Amino acid sequence: MLDVGQGISGPYCAKILAQMGAEVIKVEPPEGDAARHMGPFPGDDPHPEKSGLFLALNANKYGVTLDLASPGGAEAFRKLAASADIIIENPPPVSLADLGLGYDALQNINPGLILASITPFGNRGPYKDFKATDLVLYHMSGHAHGLLGAVEDPDSDPPIRAGGHQAELVGGMAAATAAMMALYRKRITGEGARIDISSFEAMVTQLISGLANSAYGRPAPPRDLSKVEEAAIGGMVGAIGGILPCSDGYVAISPREDAQWERWLLVMDSPAWATDDRYSTRDARQKNSPSLWKLLSEWSINRSKHEISRMGQEQRVPCFPVNTVLDLLSDEHLAHREFFVEIEHPAAGTLKYPGAAYRFSGTELPLAARPAPLLGEHNMSILKNLV
Amino acid sequence: MSELPLHGIRVLDLSWIIAGPTATRFMAAMGAEVIKVGSARRPDPSTRGPAFQAYNQSKLYASLNISTTEGLALVKQLLVVSDVVIENFAAGVIERLGLGYEVVSAVRPDIIMVASSGTGHSGPHKDYVAYGSLLQHYTGWNSISGYPGREPVTGGLWADPWVGMELAMVTAAALNNRALTGQGQYVDFSMAEALSATIPEAVLDYQMNGRVKEPLGNRDDWYAPHGVYHCVGADRWVAIAVTNDAEWVSLCQLIHRPDLAADPMYADAAGRHEHRDHLDAAITAWTIQHEDHEAMQLLQRAGVPSGPSQDILRVFNEPQLREAGYFTELQTSDGELRDLPGLPWRLEGGPGPYLTEAPVLGQHNAYVYQELLGLPETEVDRMIEDQIIY
Repeated sequence: MLDVGQGISGPYCAKILAQMGAEVIKVEPPEGDAARHMGPFPGDDPHPEKSGLFLALNANKYGVTLDLASPGGAEAFRKLAASADIIIENPPPVSLADLGLGYDALQNINPGLILASITPFGNRGPYKDFKATDLVLYHMSGHAHGLLGAVEDPDSDPPIRAGGHQAELVGGMAAATAAMMALYRKRITGEGARIDISSFEAMVTQLISGLANSAYGRPAPPRDLSKVEEAAIGGMVGAIGGILPCSDGYVAISPREDAQWERWLLVMDSPAWATDDRYSTRDARQKNSPSLWKLLSEWSINRSKHEISRMGQEQRVPCFPVNTVLDLLSDEHLAHREFFVEIEHPAAGTLKYPGAAYRFSGTELPLAARPAPLLGEHNMSILKNLV
Repeated sequence: MSELPLHGIRVLDLSWIIAGPTATRFMAAMGAEVIKVGSARRPDPSTRGPAFQAYNQSKLYASLNISTTEGLALVKQLLVVSDVVIENFAAGVIERLGLGYEVVSAVRPDIIMVASSGTGHSGPHKDYVAYGSLLQHYTGWNSISGYPGREPVTGGLWADPWVGMELAMVTAAALNNRALTGQGQYVDFSMAEALSATIPEAVLDYQMNGRVKEPLGNRDDWYAPHGVYHCVGADRWVAIAVTNDAEWVSLCQLIHRPDLAADPMYADAAGRHEHRDHLDAAITAWTIQHEDHEAMQLLQRAGVPSGPSQDILRVFNEPQLREAGYFTELQTSDGELRDLPGLPWRLEGGPGPYLTEAPVLGQHNAYVYQELLGLPETEVDRMIEDQIIY
């Protein structure tokens, strides 16, 4: 697989293929992938070989540098492409078609090639040439309204995006999913494919339940707290669930079904108010959620988040501590599953990276095969041997 | 490509609610024959609303009470003719139903069994009961999302749809492996790990700088200006992200503030980041005079990444999706024609996705039990009577 991507979505797609065992060659321009200039950096001091984001997205790949606009660079790229199963790109800035290296040109030398192109809006529709970032895609696709949920004053509390770069990861995952399916077809029939991926549509496809509600003529969930009547799917408001303050942070609970609520009351040692009409049914709990959450908080504040989640889970009530990354790195469950993988990098040192969410029976994934490549690290070993 | 990529693959779908059905929706739309199996005895909670119409497009739906002996035997017959089986019950449930991987792979040795649960199928907390919204808290995902200094956010339907797509990807990877080796696999999937894997910046920032990352609202660690800006109308905003100096200069020209572009204090991202409050006010003075879509058009024409912050109904009516052919008109189970969502990719020069309306429980019993398994109609009728096909 050739990774011509820069930034996040394309390289993330290639990262997934690499951790599934593909030989991924990252093709960077001579000045390097733009992600080399995105943080975090040790000491907040930007360094092209020490970007945490770049290191995470590009571990387990080989790396070469090519100036694809030069005849020599383009020729070397064509040679690499001749034996590639998949090429991923996410223009701008680099569009293979603009460089004369688009699907038609490459298909001539590699008829079974799969070319996946991720752009913010795909190659269709009125916004096809528009620029977008993670922030823009998160807001345009409806997610920002859902993430924040309802607030007391919508005009002073605008919708917000999630942390990290979720929208760009979704574009990359969509590309990996489509490419992996196309690769299966190629193994059966030998046929290649040209796949066009819209990151915007990938984000929108995360909200198909909301789109279905719209198709049924239902209004969007209100952002004004005073207008909320029923809890939205996935959100945790009122009777669906929420967070409780603890002695050391927060715990998230969701005793949403009646049976779960009954068991949750056991966790709380059957408080006297439980039989009050205001809290005895799910509808009543939804209507009276402000006073209900006040009662729950008075109980939770003197206990730790782990204590409450353990007590809840013992009664089969869905509840979890609200964790930070520090909690994750010391989490016994993740440690037991060896979720984090340690990789030593010559410039950035030894770091723990999040691993994969999946384990295949009989196959160990090469999650720590090699660190992210230094700029041009494999030029000699890969480019010198091209024929 | 003359056929859809998963043409010829049959998926036995024992999953429910959101994540599993999302995965099999992707597979069905890409050509797999997906047989969803459910029971009136314990209905899929997502059948409660319109969401079911989206999550279960393009599938077949057979009714089966797998907690009965005969029902279990029928599942095994279906496994024999299936390439993939997928389930997303809490850990341990599928084994208690008598359908653990040992049983399943004995029936069909090269089957791919995809098992998704909240925290995965090993480890001290494997039996923890979970919802996606809770896992967003457990995994640190919500810890970097929200307004700085306030309570963690509690909204957001993220975990289940994200996991759904990743499960489809993982299944396709296992199909590739089977095509090469002839062997099936068991896939242990953890929803929690899927979320923790998407916040590497925060995980590495802690190790590099000893810093537990705080939420930033709409702001960015490096880029500025970066946020949403009030437009004409109540609760209307346009998102603007300036990612380089050229975009900054274009933005200043558009909002009639060449003085800001000329000021060396704002010439680079670090300077703009330091003075972001001041710059945000200057931008708002311009955006407040425009409708959000109009602001996007003007900003995009100037080369500045931007777009309106929309609720789901406005997304549904978004001209970009309409003109790009994202929706397909389908007849839902109430007989009405409605526009339902498609896939985020196109196979250029190849077939379009296979998109049909969601089925109702038992709609495909005749196909599944008589045509596929070859049971006589009288036998099927008896099992309906006995609440096995139920």
